[in-house]
Amino acid sequence: MEDKAIVVKNLKKYFKDVKAVDDISFEVGYGQLFALLGQNGAGKSTTIRILTNLAVPTSGYVEVAGYNVLKNPTEVRKNIGLVAEKVILYNDLTAMENIKFFGRLYGMKDPEIYDRAEKFLKLFDIWDFKDILISKMSTGMKQKINLARALVPDPKIIFLDEPTLGLDPVSTKHIRDFIVQLREEGRTIVYTTHVLHDVELMNVDKVAIMRKGKIVAMGTLNEIRKHFKKAEIVEIETDRTLSFNDPKIKILEQEDGYAKVEVEDLNQFMSYLTKANIKVRSFKSLEPSLEDIYVEISEGKLDAEIETVKE
Amino acid sequence: MRIWDIAWKDLKVFLRGRTRVAFSILMPIIMMLMLGFIFPKTGGSYSGNIGIYSQDLIFNAKVEKSLPASQTNKMIFYNSKQDLIDALASGKIMVGAIIPKDFSLSIALNRPVTMDVIPSPANPQAGIMMAQMLSDMFGQAGSQNIKQNIVKSNLINADGTNFNYYDFTVPGLMAMIAIMSVMTGLASAITRERELGTMDGVMVTPISRGSIVIGKILAQTIRGFVTAMIILVISWLFFGVSFSPVSLLWTVFLLLLGTFSFIGVGVMVTAAMKEQETAMITMTTITFPMMFFSGVFFPIQQMPKVMQYIAYIFPLTYAADALRNVITLNVGWNFIWFDVAVLAGFAVVTSLAATFTFQKLIQD
Repeated sequence: MEDKAIVVKNLKKYFKDVKAVDDISFEVGYGQLFALLGQNGAGKSTTIRILTNLAVPTSGYVEVAGYNVLKNPTEVRKNIGLVAEKVILYNDLTAMENIKFFGRLYGMKDPEIYDRAEKFLKLFDIWDFKDILISKMSTGMKQKINLARALVPDPKIIFLDEPTLGLDPVSTKHIRDFIVQLREEGRTIVYTTHVLHDVELMNVDKVAIMRKGKIVAMGTLNEIRKHFKKAEIVEIETDRTLSFNDPKIKILEQEDGYAKVEVEDLNQFMSYLTKANIKVRSFKSLEPSLEDIYVEISEGKLDAEIETVKE
Repeated sequence: MRIWDIAWKDLKVFLRGRTRVAFSILMPIIMMLMLGFIFPKTGGSYSGNIGIYSQDLIFNAKVEKSLPASQTNKMIFYNSKQDLIDALASGKIMVGAIIPKDFSLSIALNRPVTMDVIPSPANPQAGIMMAQMLSDMFGQAGSQNIKQNIVKSNLINADGTNFNYYDFTVPGLMAMIAIMSVMTGLASAITRERELGTMDGVMVTPISRGSIVIGKILAQTIRGFVTAMIILVISWLFFGVSFSPVSLLWTVFLLLLGTFSFIGVGVMVTAAMKEQETAMITMTTITFPMMFFSGVFFPIQQMPKVMQYIAYIFPLTYAADALRNVITLNVGWNFIWFDVAVLAGFAVVTSLAATFTFQKLIQD
């Protein structure tokens, strides 16, 4: 248990009749980038709030950085940083004033805060704006300062709750790249998002998909893809137009010798091709995207097959 | 139609906040009931003792002889002006009259004479009425033959300056304005931070919840102090309120303590509210009645008994009472210790309660 940055066991958080978080369990190792996905109201933010000591669970066990969140809240808070959906900055203070204020709450001295702020603000290319009021800044710039604010105290575990929400593609890319860099530095990152493309690009270590307060799928990206793969999608280039009478083989697209085909049994499909003496010029098996899986889970289409993927 | 759409949307948004709606309904009910009941149903009769400091040696004997026992029973004689002021401060007498040396002689010669009368700062209306009564009483007692009352009452403060009703309201107003400025600040300092999300940022740092509350209380107390200073300067510049060096120090101390005594309640109320608007309505529902109940504009002694008991729930009552004694009577610790103790008690209990309940109140 000591090598785990986060341990969650049978966590529940009920608001009267609403089961915001309903009996979830997961673990995140140190240095891992963990993505928590789910629709609005799935329970992601409530989970983050419990992990960051902002909400008390109805029941269950939660350990962050080796400390029980209920028994050692201060120790937990010494080791974490939070970047929430709402930017945690005071509009009437400058970037540096904000960073200094929050740094001091961690017991840091001003010169140390200044040095670390300089490092991050220069990295984000916004050092020149350090003395500008937050109210005068763009959303993207605010979010970068918000990240710097959370990182200056050098937390071991960083919670990023929808940090790219409302950002333009360029700012989103900057923040995404930076998160990957943070992981490379050995930090543990818990990341929630709706932008599934980001999760795929960042090559997260582990994904959990939440729906109605429960974790309905969890594992590496490949494990999840594999688990939810109903049929193989192949792109194939042949010497003739394809046609099959088997309902297990569906031609999705076909044009000028190129075809996209959904097959339930790849071996059977290959034997069809051999028997019909079809010459195959190229062949590529397509993985279902995380988005496909996510949408189907979110819409409840995969309910019958839902089974938590174990590591 | 679009106008109605805008209006309907605004109303709908308003109606969605249960606490907001509840307090919006409660506020007019409380206000109307309160304003209806704080005034006495029967007017004109005032009871209370009359304090007399006579510089006229033959006055006492003459009063005893010429006035009926029912009237002399209510009179208490003092040996010095300070004793008279102390009696006013401790609430033993409702009005204090200073009889000048030539009082009896002037009446005997049918010569107009003026006596200084100091009304009780806690109930100046009663004091003013009784001052009039005194001048009639002494005038008639002096000579049965005179047709016109030759005894005039000169209403003064303890320091000899002319008394006006503002002298009664200003101490209470000072405390009320200081408290109200802090209440507005609290709604912004706590509820707005919750709305914006910055409170989450502070709460995830290792700082203790208690330190957050104490920090908030400190900031608002400093704010209250600055407001108190502005009030002092305005009162001195525009309304002729004078302070001795000692009373000035007491005034500053009492304004700070009065503000501090209310902040704990403010922290609890604002921490429990998720929207700033709800917090503001709730605060108004508490502070607005308080300013009528606490004797800022209308003496508590003249309210019906039940309303008087309610008045003593509010810390402003004690702050206003102590400030009046300090500012208008220029008295110190001996006459305000009870008010100070109650205010300090309020401050400690509500601040501790706020510190302990803050985490619970602010959680989802």
